[in-house]
Amino acid sequence: MTTTCDCLVCDTALETRPDMEKGEIVECSSCGQEHEVVTVSSTHVSVEMAPEVEEDWGE
Amino acid sequence: MKQDIPADVVLSVTKLRPDEKLLLEALRARGLTVSVALRRDIGDLLNGAAPPPGVVLVRNLSHRDAASIAHRLEQLGVATLNTTTAIDLCHDKGKQALLFQSHGVPHPRSFHGFDRSQIRELLETIGWPVVVKPLSASWGSGVVRLADEACFEAWVGGCEGIDANGRMFPVLVQEYVAKPGYDLRVVVVGDEPVVAIRRRSDDWRTNTHLGARVERTELTAEMRLLCARAVDLFGPGFYGIDLVEDTRADGLMVLEVNANPEFARSSVQHGVDVAGRVADLLCQRTAERAVA
Repeated sequence: MTTTCDCLVCDTALETRPDMEKGEIVECSSCGQEHEVVTVSSTHVSVEMAPEVEEDWGE
Repeated sequence: MKQDIPADVVLSVTKLRPDEKLLLEALRARGLTVSVALRRDIGDLLNGAAPPPGVVLVRNLSHRDAASIAHRLEQLGVATLNTTTAIDLCHDKGKQALLFQSHGVPHPRSFHGFDRSQIRELLETIGWPVVVKPLSASWGSGVVRLADEACFEAWVGGCEGIDANGRMFPVLVQEYVAKPGYDLRVVVVGDEPVVAIRRRSDDWRTNTHLGARVERTELTAEMRLLCARAVDLFGPGFYGIDLVEDTRADGLMVLEVNANPEFARSSVQHGVDVAGRVADLLCQRTAERAVA
């Protein structure tokens, strides 16, 4: 089974799978925008823009 | 994360990196139920829309988020692998310096600078060169070595240009340690050091994020002792403890303790299953809670 989900910037179909995990990062093959998987079901994966590095990120 | 059955473990993340994927695999391989939680999922948990899990592993990249989530979970009565006290300490190099100093743990001479004039006074105490660090920065960002008066003036000028109101203060002002081209990172799981690596770099900063190369090295008795002393202060948990050797003196020093250590890339080099060791510890914690 495949799931469909489009790039939030250029509408290119993202390569998503139903076995993806929440929090996984998906990069658009067309424009390079990174997306974060926020919900996963057997038929649907939804994404938001991936979080960008902030100054308090780290170990 | 709306669900009825509580997970054994919740993995709280900013995003799922290779490190967290390894943790997920290791936890599931041990038969634990695991949920990945983004920030709003933690909100569901706090708001009662999801049942409290056995234990939460806080892997958020943002220090602010990690501390906020850990403290709120603590109020809810949900355990985190690293305690809130340990997380707070790990996010503040100044608090760590004071803790090490008050407990006699070897650590580079370190001071707090609350403004530029105080840093200038400290320079006279410490002598050139000195290292100035933001209290909560990671991956080597914002860390500078000031070799002489000209460096200091340049740094002050740069700071005034971008931080006229001095919001960056206080900073940590630390003696420069002449490392032998590398520092040491020891990964601790529970209270046990599980692997030591050298992080070798041509740069004076030896962060892997800045390109340092990783080499496995033997865990020595001295490394084990220093890690044990750090764990005594921070409590058992999952840490990356940075040790440094000063070529001008004998012995190792504890540089800092990190509460969210990265291990995926270095595990490929050293071959130790860090994720598996963390999963074993989480199994133990969930079993202990089930008995309680």
